[in-house]
Amino acid sequence: MNLAIETEDLGKRYGDVTAVEHLSLRVAEGEIYAFLGLNGAGKTTTIRMLLGMIRPTTGSATVLGARVRLGRREPWAAVGYLVETPHAYGELTVRENLEVARRLHPGAPAAAVDRCIERLGLSAYADRRTGTLSHGNAQRLGLAKALLHGPRLLLLDEPANGLDPAGIVEIRSLLLELTREQGVTVFMSSHILAEVARLAARVGIIHEGRLLQELDAEGLERNRRRRLLVRARDQAAALRTLAAAGRPAALLPDGTLELTDAAVVARPDDVAGLLAAAGVPPTHLVVEEEELEHYFLRLVGSSGGAA
Amino acid sequence: MRDLSAMIWIETRKALRSRMPWFTAAGALVMPLGIAFLIFVATHPEISHKLGLVGAKANLMTYATTSWPMYLELQGQMIAAGGFFLFCLIFCWVFGREFTDGTLKDMLAVPVARGSIVLAKFVVAAAWSAALAALIFITGLVAGALMGLPQASAAVLLQGSLTVAVTTGLVIAVVLPFAFFASVGRGYLLPLGLAILALMLANLVMVLGWGEYFPWAVPGLHAQGKDYLSPISYVIAVLTGAAGMRGTHLWWKYADQNR
Repeated sequence: MNLAIETEDLGKRYGDVTAVEHLSLRVAEGEIYAFLGLNGAGKTTTIRMLLGMIRPTTGSATVLGARVRLGRREPWAAVGYLVETPHAYGELTVRENLEVARRLHPGAPAAAVDRCIERLGLSAYADRRTGTLSHGNAQRLGLAKALLHGPRLLLLDEPANGLDPAGIVEIRSLLLELTREQGVTVFMSSHILAEVARLAARVGIIHEGRLLQELDAEGLERNRRRRLLVRARDQAAALRTLAAAGRPAALLPDGTLELTDAAVVARPDDVAGLLAAAGVPPTHLVVEEEELEHYFLRLVGSSGGAA
Repeated sequence: MRDLSAMIWIETRKALRSRMPWFTAAGALVMPLGIAFLIFVATHPEISHKLGLVGAKANLMTYATTSWPMYLELQGQMIAAGGFFLFCLIFCWVFGREFTDGTLKDMLAVPVARGSIVLAKFVVAAAWSAALAALIFITGLVAGALMGLPQASAAVLLQGSLTVAVTTGLVIAVVLPFAFFASVGRGYLLPLGLAILALMLANLVMVLGWGEYFPWAVPGLHAQGKDYLSPISYVIAVLTGAAGMRGTHLWWKYADQNR
């Protein structure tokens, strides 16, 4: 497996504050890897270390086979990036800003500017000064700058920030297309699990500077809690029946019965049959998966405060 | 070299599309035109009388009307003091804006040496400063000619031009460290504050008689055209500039960039 990104015990401290520690990541070429964490978890610091903008206190990072060092020219010809809020030269137009970005990548063809303008839906704003752009269009310009030189690796910090729902879907399609058709690797950070779950092949969850968990789409599905919710005309009788059958249920405040035992949740038809045989047939029976956001918050241990 | 020319194109484009060239040109014109106005008022007592306070101040400038040599010396001093602030502003803007505007990050992970990016900024800011000095000087010359100052000769003009040119070079040299201060301070406040401090200290050390060893006093002393400076003074000014450039380069290359 060729790796686009590899970090070994990567860490960054600012005085007594640990921004990132013991981060060992492996991102394969051609995959979309989502880096998930709350604000201040260390996502941006990691991306800046991967881009050689800040020096790690410990460990090392390798990007596209080149060891990342501050001030080096390699491997940036093949890397596009968007870090935090996109900024542009306000006195220049969208086209001029992209021309500046193109000249910062010697070898990028002149036609790339117009191609990116069209691809990111910026044609109507091409000759408008960027100081007047909406946040969403500024984000599109930031993405256009990242894509301009046809990079093999994209490092995107919260790429959906500021985009409207249509824009989010559009960018998601664009990233999937780049990955599938051109083999581009995408390393993206986000704080919204539901967003990245639709896109990423693998997700790394970072909290307080540490990588808590790395999992693929199946693992994500597997790790989420599932529960069986049951309602009957006589809830008390249903509760007693289930308890007597060794399938204890909890009574939720809205009167619904909740069963969380994995074996029980896997066979809801057994529960339906049991209740029907006892004369309290279910009027509502549903297997519900834990919401992604709840799973994420449970994992980082702050669901109580933030949910 | 190709990288450097591309970076110079970028810096020139950014500068020309901003309002800064107009602001700095207006600032540059105010100095020679203001002095020409005061000289004009001083040489016309009837106007001076009507202007009251302005007229009284203009009388202090009367010495400048005595001859071209003194007028040209005044031009040099204008560049040493007023030019210093203008050039500082230019260097602070060219370097500091990348931090305040948040655009620095777009220049860091690119296949162009950071040294080329920094050098291009220095080249453009220095050329811009030199152009402003030329604007100040040419405006002063035209105003002097229109006022018909006495003792004009090719030798006087050549000597005056040379003094102004060297003063400009010295000012640019001692302004280079302010690019470093703008980078370390990540904006405009630190370098502009230090520029005011440098000028105040320059005045103080000149009074104490140590001006020849203080880099920010050297241009002003050179403009006075007297024997205030030794060769070491010029070396100090050039080394100050070189240290400013090197420090800026190292900062851009190796410092953590969080903006």
